[in-house]
Amino acid sequence: MRSNRIWPMILLWCALPNLAQAVYPDMQEEIATQPKAADEHYFTPRDLSRIPSGAFGDKVRKGYELFVNTQQLKGRYVGNTLNCTNCHLDAGTKAYAAPMWAAYLAYPAFRKKDNRVNNFAERIQGCFNYSMNGKAPALDSPELVAMSAYSYWLLMGGLLDMFGMQDKPVPELDDKHLQLGGNDESFVLPGPLAGRVKMAGREHMPGRAFATLARPPEDASPSRGQQVYSQYCAVCHGDQGQGREMADVPVLPALWGAQSYNWGAGMHRVNTAATFIFENMPLGKGVQLSVQEAWDVAAFINSRERPQDPRFNGDLSSTAKAFHGADQGYYGKTVDGKALGSQAFPSGIQP
Amino acid sequence: MRSVRMAAALMVLDAGLAGMVWAQEQAPREAQPCFACHGERGQGTTQGPMLAGLSTQYIEAQIDHFISGQRSNPLMTPMAQAYTDLQLRRPVATYFASQGKLPELHVRGQLQAGSAAERLYYQGDITRGIPACYSCHGPSAVGGGPFPRLAGQQADYVSAQLLAWQKGERKGDPGNMMAAIAKRLSAEDIQALGRYLAAIQ
Ligand code: HEC
Ligand code: HEC
Ligand code: HEC
Ligand code: HEC
Repeated sequence: MRSNRIWPMILLWCALPNLAQAVYPDMQEEIATQPKAADEHYFTPRDLSRIPSGAFGDKVRKGYELFVNTQQLKGRYVGNTLNCTNCHLDAGTKAYAAPMWAAYLAYPAFRKKDNRVNNFAERIQGCFNYSMNGKAPALDSPELVAMSAYSYWLLMGGLLDMFGMQDKPVPELDDKHLQLGGNDESFVLPGPLAGRVKMAGREHMPGRAFATLARPPEDASPSRGQQVYSQYCAVCHGDQGQGREMADVPVLPALWGAQSYNWGAGMHRVNTAATFIFENMPLGKGVQLSVQEAWDVAAFINSRERPQDPRFNGDLSSTAKAFHGADQGYYGKTVDGKALGSQAFPSGIQP
Repeated sequence: MRSVRMAAALMVLDAGLAGMVWAQEQAPREAQPCFACHGERGQGTTQGPMLAGLSTQYIEAQIDHFISGQRSNPLMTPMAQAYTDLQLRRPVATYFASQGKLPELHVRGQLQAGSAAERLYYQGDITRGIPACYSCHGPSAVGGGPFPRLAGQQADYVSAQLLAWQKGERKGDPGNMMAAIAKRLSAEDIQALGRYLAAIQ
């Protein structure tokens, strides 16, 4: 079954590299980090209790449930033990932890690299294929519609509240428009907001993606990072980065190994992980890491084996060259005498 | 009439089953001194909190904290000091960890928060930088490893611990993680969380 799926891809890739990318578009392209806004809480989405009743509200609610309990899709669309909220913290609402409200306004996004436009739902598919080490639900599936609806609702509810329109319901959108995203020409703000919210540059809403982090004084080092890891992280994420289950429910997420994000995921890049970790970890922030510690520990967790890049073409160095040439990750590089990716765990959903 | 008899039969069966479990998990001798305050099965008494279902790792760590002075209590500190020896401590911790029953499990996203405390537990409060308690204490507060079970714990005890962290009187939580969170809670949150957690059965 697996090989059936992979073969046509390899063939396609040899003959038509651009098409092959369309089959597995590299949607984990780096999003530019942003300097931190003075007020991190300038934007507050509505409380979940304000999700309206009715068909539209049901989609929003379902989107929330899928976002915080993505494990209900394990085996169907999800291959590891993660939930979206493990990285997009506080159910996708936390500024500088790639919140959904800011992301919604940034799609569709044009990507020069492959001359392609990704809409919002396609970007979610990227996280299913890589961060969740799974197989994304199809466009127009109830899952993608629901997660898009939830993201849209977070954005619009927050905007309406921000402009003193607490009593205004979030205008409903049809499934097609929900999946497009707020950067589409067809996207209009409801009457009272139009003209008050600046739409130019909307893809850079403060709080989007991650906050800019200074380069470390010294090059990031996995071996120094290992010490940071045992001191500050292992208590929650485990000695082997395996995370922790409670009553058989995955609670603390795995950082490497078979149950974590795969080699194609955005979090595998040292810079992306460092910015995330510096801002958000250790969870609850009883301790603040230094810039150097954040880079070192990011280098450590991202120089352990994890599931294979789903674009793997059978050859490590050519896959690394094709998809990781410019990124700040360890895929294809040698650490402790082993080429990373050469002993990767299986990619995708395992029976 | 029939259903009453049925129910009575079931109750007998129930008692019988519980008896069997009890017989299998004989309390080790070393645990006897704990019963006066924590109950024979670690269910807690007016003298001391519930221990049933806390992990072995957590129970052992707390005894260390009482010995080192990171926690202090006139009743418990002397008891802990008598258990510096791991040989004594391990069977007791293992025994209490195996007691208690799992509450009905609710994962994140399954329930509409029914109260402010439940909301804090499952969603946290982003405007105050409070992560969901769920992220560390798990579904229905069952806990595991370094994270204590909170489900069914005595309300007053829970509130007292959160206040102790606020005042800097309880220490030893890895990386100050629980102190940092307790300091962001209001007095009302603390009361409400105590009641909410105690009621999870
Ligand atoms: C292992 C961590 C991780 C998990 C789990 C994860 N993501 Fe992501 N996601 C990221 C990272 C990192 C980025 C930013 C990518 C970058 O900079 O390359 C991202 C980006 C996104 C974006 C675009 C954000 C923007 O501002 O453009 C969306 C939308 C998204 N993820 C949705 C989801 C959904 C839905 C799920 C669950 C099905 C999910 N993600 C699971 C790490 C994760
Ligand atoms: C107090 C426990 C705790 C500590 C300590 C902690 N984390 Fe986390 N971490 C979490 C939790 C919980 C999440 C998921 C957040 C959620 O679900 O709300 C998480 C998420 C993550 C993620 C994204 C999810 C994934 O699987 O990739 C990374 C990366 C991460 N932590 C790295 C670290 C690093 C590095 C350290 C040490 C500097 C650290 N964490 C310390 C609890 C912790
Ligand atoms: C004289 C009464 C008393 C006896 C006997 C006693 N304890 Fe305690 N114990 C307490 C009290 C009171 C507390 C709560 C302390 C506090 O409020 O900080 C406590 C707390 C604890 C805790 C921390 C619980 C938590 O949830 O953090 C552990 C573990 C514990 N006791 C273990 C034991 C063990 C094991 C024994 C027997 C060897 C024992 N205790 C005997 C009174 C007692
Ligand atoms: C970042 C992880 C984390 C989060 C989030 C967290 N806790 Fe804790 N909590 C811990 C750890 C670790 C301990 C054990 C501390 C120790 O070893 O002394 C603990 C202990 C406790 C205790 C003491 C229990 C006992 O038996 O003595 C209470 C009460 C508690 N937490 C309540 C909460 C509440 C309420 C929330 C949400 C507002 C919360 N915690 C969120 C990590 C966390």
